[in-house]
This record gives sequence, structure tokens and C-alpha cells, in this order.
Amino acid sequence: MRDVSSRREAERLSLVRRIKDKLFLVILVVLSMAAFLPLFHIVASILYYGGWTLLRGGLSFLVDTPPSPLSSNLGGIGPALVGSAVLVFLTVILGLPLSFMAAVFTVEYPNTLVARVTKLVCRSFTEIPTVLIGVLSYTLVVIPMGRFSALAGAVALAIVMVPYSYTYMEESLASIPRTYREAAYSLGLTRPRAVFSVFTRIARRGILTGVLIGLAKAAGETAPLLFTIGGLRHAYFNGPDHPVGAIPLLIYEFALTPYRVYREVAWGAALVLIAIYLVIFVVLRRTVREVRM
Amino acid sequence: MRKLLAMVIAALAILVFLFSFSFRNEGKKAAEVIIRGSGSTFLQPQLEAWIQGFLKDFKNVSIEYQGVGSGAGQEQFFKRLTDFCGSDPPLSRQTWERYRGKVLQLPIILGAVAVVYNVPELKDRCLKLDGRVLALIYLGRIEYWDDPMMRELNPGLDLPHRRITAVHRSDASGTTQIFTTFLHEAAPDLWPSDLVGKTVNWPVDGKGRGVGGKGNPGVVAALKSTEYSVGYVELEYAYREALPVAAIKNRDGNFVLPSVEAIQEAAKNALPDLPEDPSEDFSSELQAIVYAPGNGSYSITAFSHVFIRTTYSKEKTWVVREFIRWICERGSGYVVEGYVPVPEEIRNIDLRALDLVRSG
Repeated sequence: MRDVSSRREAERLSLVRRIKDKLFLVILVVLSMAAFLPLFHIVASILYYGGWTLLRGGLSFLVDTPPSPLSSNLGGIGPALVGSAVLVFLTVILGLPLSFMAAVFTVEYPNTLVARVTKLVCRSFTEIPTVLIGVLSYTLVVIPMGRFSALAGAVALAIVMVPYSYTYMEESLASIPRTYREAAYSLGLTRPRAVFSVFTRIARRGILTGVLIGLAKAAGETAPLLFTIGGLRHAYFNGPDHPVGAIPLLIYEFALTPYRVYREVAWGAALVLIAIYLVIFVVLRRTVREVRM
Repeated sequence: MRKLLAMVIAALAILVFLFSFSFRNEGKKAAEVIIRGSGSTFLQPQLEAWIQGFLKDFKNVSIEYQGVGSGAGQEQFFKRLTDFCGSDPPLSRQTWERYRGKVLQLPIILGAVAVVYNVPELKDRCLKLDGRVLALIYLGRIEYWDDPMMRELNPGLDLPHRRITAVHRSDASGTTQIFTTFLHEAAPDLWPSDLVGKTVNWPVDGKGRGVGGKGNPGVVAALKSTEYSVGYVELEYAYREALPVAAIKNRDGNFVLPSVEAIQEAAKNALPDLPEDPSEDFSSELQAIVYAPGNGSYSITAFSHVFIRTTYSKEKTWVVREFIRWICERGSGYVVEGYVPVPEEIRNIDLRALDLVRSG
């Protein structure tokens, strides 16, 4: 008798536990859905509306110049696409060496004053409103040059990018185990050689993620471009020291107007922007494999 | 290490390729002239339509315009980063004094602010409002739709006993400036001049019956989601969203809806108070056109402007002149919905600018 009742008791308890377990799982799923739902909604509506635009415009949507609000013709985002590509390239040229060198320096010489200041400044820079960075570049680059330029935009975007890239790179370099560092030095490698041939390769995935996160942050920014690149619609490219267009700027300008053709172009441009991100992310993450330790 | 070197070389090669565009352009400077403007976001779609029309007629020139806001546009124009500026308000007297003789202000197009409302009982029936009642609503002193003053203005309408929610812009906006100027002009005893401006401390907010919306789309969204609300938006948004528009009592006592003719008539009747020459001071122009006299004038109307310099380089002088001439002569055929072309009398002011622009 006692045996049966204790078994029942145990079954009851295990049932309660299983219910609790399931309940917890359900709550987790619901909560994560709630977190993802707005994001999913954004992506879904961009896919839906942008998809229609791309279907209507076809390939020429990627090539043509933007339409007039009077036209029923969709036109395209050619100049903005070229401008964004140039901006991303220049931003990487400026931002990648800067953030990489800063990361190497703070990892290799962690106790110097300069390294500590660099670390502090870089980490706190992520909090600066990007429109201020745009104004900074406007004052330091645009006004002395006397005109808007892709260069001024890239300077602003690089300042946006560096803190993010730096943080990732620094963390991945710092997480290389001590034994690997000592092994490198025991081979008689000089410090630069050890950094570039061994540490960089071990941390390559983290470094790459740093570049990508920084770039993704920078490439989607509108505020730093507003006062720096000047915009270009009726030509494609006149050189890095001349004004260019950019996709985020085009979306910002067109999405806020009441005109249908402008809004359609803005949706299409948003879809193109997301598609470019996805392709870059997937391809780069696949080609650079993680180093197992 | 070798990989890194290859990447650096590839990057340098792309950089050289990009800069080659700059040098190619230096060579054919005479062939292609680009003039550049920035400023008002309200003007941007209209200017874009004009620019594309103009570029169809003229080859080897290009015009670029970026909507960054009237204030930023003026700053860039005076820093000589741009060749022209689109601005909703005219220059303040102070700024005009500083650049006197160097800058021309052209009233280039008309826009209007529509008073819109969301009262389910009224459906498509047109509400009549005047400046005094609107001022009292935004002061929070008229609380219900069936207030005696409202019923007096709308004898035929069956107004519900519901609280009025007053929707306004939450961001700094020229639309707010025009609307509050109207309230001040039409009811100076109720609406003081320190409640006129791009951002206003709305008294109705203090009574808990005011709602702010960011941009015209924000006001439209707030109005649509709040029954028994009233608000003001750029005319185009009222059309586009098919919102009911109120008829506004003008200075001559007639209730007028914002139509092309009514808006142009306001501009014509503002003419006696406007300078005759684009080099003069336009700073009191808004007070002249808002609540203008005239039988059929729509009261909440305003100009938008293009500012140009009096001197340019030789090639740019030609482009700027031709562009202004083209807008005056052919621009009315390229007017985008929501804008109203300026009447001929105003066009004559703009055409006078052609004689004032010199190369040098």
C-alpha cells in the first residue's frame, strides 16, 4: 500500500515537473516570438512592398536614375547604389586599418596609458549620436574642401564603424589562449610577425565579424551622410572627392514624401539594401572558417 | 603575409580607379556644368520635377537638389557649398541685411496648410471654421464639438457632444509656423505672437487634449486613430489620405476651401505688401499672404522660395538664369500635385532676377 502511494506521489511530482518544463518552454518560445515579431514584420513588409517594386522595375531598377514625382515610370536607384558601394569601400579603407591597429595595440601593450585611453574612448564612442559625427565631418572635411564629397561621408562612416569593429577585434585577439602566444614567441618570431602570422589568423573569424558589424552599422546610417555626401541623382559617379548618392539617404528622402512613385522606389531600395547585407554576411561567414582550439 | 599584400594592392588599385573619375571630369569641365542646391524638404519633389523637365530640354548641364531642411540649406548656401537654396521661409531681416545685394529671393511656388478633422458623424459634410475658433481650440478653451461658437459657424450641421482632441506637429516645422501665423493674424487678441513659430508650447497640451505627431505622416496617423480630433497638414497629405478638409473664414468673411484659385488669389492680394524686386527684404512676406484680403482668398497659404546669388562663374550664370527662366515660362506645366503655381504677377518678380544675376 505504502509502496503504491509513494509511487503515485512520485508520478504526480514528475508530472508537475514535466508540466513546469513544458510551460517554461512555451513561455520562452512566446517571449522570443514577441521579441522577433516586430523585426519579422519589418522584414516581411519590406519583402512584400519592395518585392512588388522590384518586379515592376526589373533589372533596370538597379541601373536607372530616380524618377520625377510626376512620372509613372519607376526609374531606379543606380546612382545611389554606385554611391553606396564607393562609400562602403572608402569606409573600409579608412576604418579597417585604424580599428585593427588599435585593437592589436591595446591587446599587445595593455598596461600603457595610451592603450587604456584608446580602449575607453573607442568603447564610449559607440554611444555618440551619429548625426554629431556627420556634423564633425561637415566642419572638418566638407567646409575646408569647399564641397560635399564621398570622402567626407566615408570619414564620418569610418568614425561610426571604428568603435564597433574595434570592440569585436579587441575581444577576439584578447581571447587567444596564453599557450598559443607563448608557442608563437618560442619559435623565435618577432612581435609583428607573431601578430600578423599567428594571432590574426587564430582570431580571423572574430576580426571579420568586427568588420562586418561595423560596416553593417555604418552602411545603414543616414544621419552622418546628410551633411557630408551632398547627394547625386542625375549622374552616377564623378570621383571620390565629388558628391555621391547613397541608398539610406535616398530612402530617407523618398519615404517621407506623399508621392506614390517615390514611396515605391524607397521600398525597393530598402529591399536592395537588405539583400546586399544578407549576401555579404552569408558569403563572408562561409568562406572564413572558425579556428578550433 | 602575401595575402595581405595582395589585398592592399587590390585596394590601392580600386582607389586609383575611383580617383581617375575626378581627373576625367577636370578635363571636360566646360562640357558639363553641375549646379547644386539644398534646403527645404517640402520643395524637394517639386524642384525634382522641374529639374528633370529642364534637363530634358538642356543637355550638358546637370542640377542636383537635396532636401536637408530650410535652415541647413541656408547655412550650406551661405558657406558656398551650394549654388542655390530652397527655403520655405524668406530670410530674416537680420540675415538679409548681412548678405544684402549678394542674394536674391524668388517666391517660386505656393503651398497651403489644410485644417483636417475626424468626426464620424459628419462623414463628408464640410465643416466651417474661423481663426478665432481654431485659436480657442488650440488654447484648450473650446472643449466640445457642439460648443455654441462651433454651432454658430455651422448652423446646418449636427455636431456631437464629444471632446475635441487637437493634433499638432511635435517636430520643428514650417507648417506649424504658417498655421500659428494664421492664428495670430486672425485672432491677435487670443493668440499672442510668442505662440507663433516652428515649435510652439501648445496650451491645449496642458489641458490634456493635445496630441503631437512627427511630420505630416505622424499628424495624419494621430488624426486617423483618434476620433473627434482636428489637425493641420500640408495640403497634399489631406488629398492623398482623403481626409475631410475644413473651409476657413478669410479676412473678407467668406468660408473658403484650399483650391488652386483660392490659393493664387491669396498670393495676388498679398502683392501690395510684397517687395517688387527679388533683391529686397521679404521678411514680412508671410504676414502679408497669410489671412490676406480678397473675396476668395484661402487664408493659410504661404510661398516657398529659391535663393540664388547675384554673381556666379560664367558657366553657372548661364545655367542658373536658364533654369529660373524655364521655371517661370514652362514650370507651370510641371507642377506636382499639392503645390500651386505662383500667379503671373509673382512670376514677374522672379523674372526680374534674370537681370540681376551677373557672371564675375
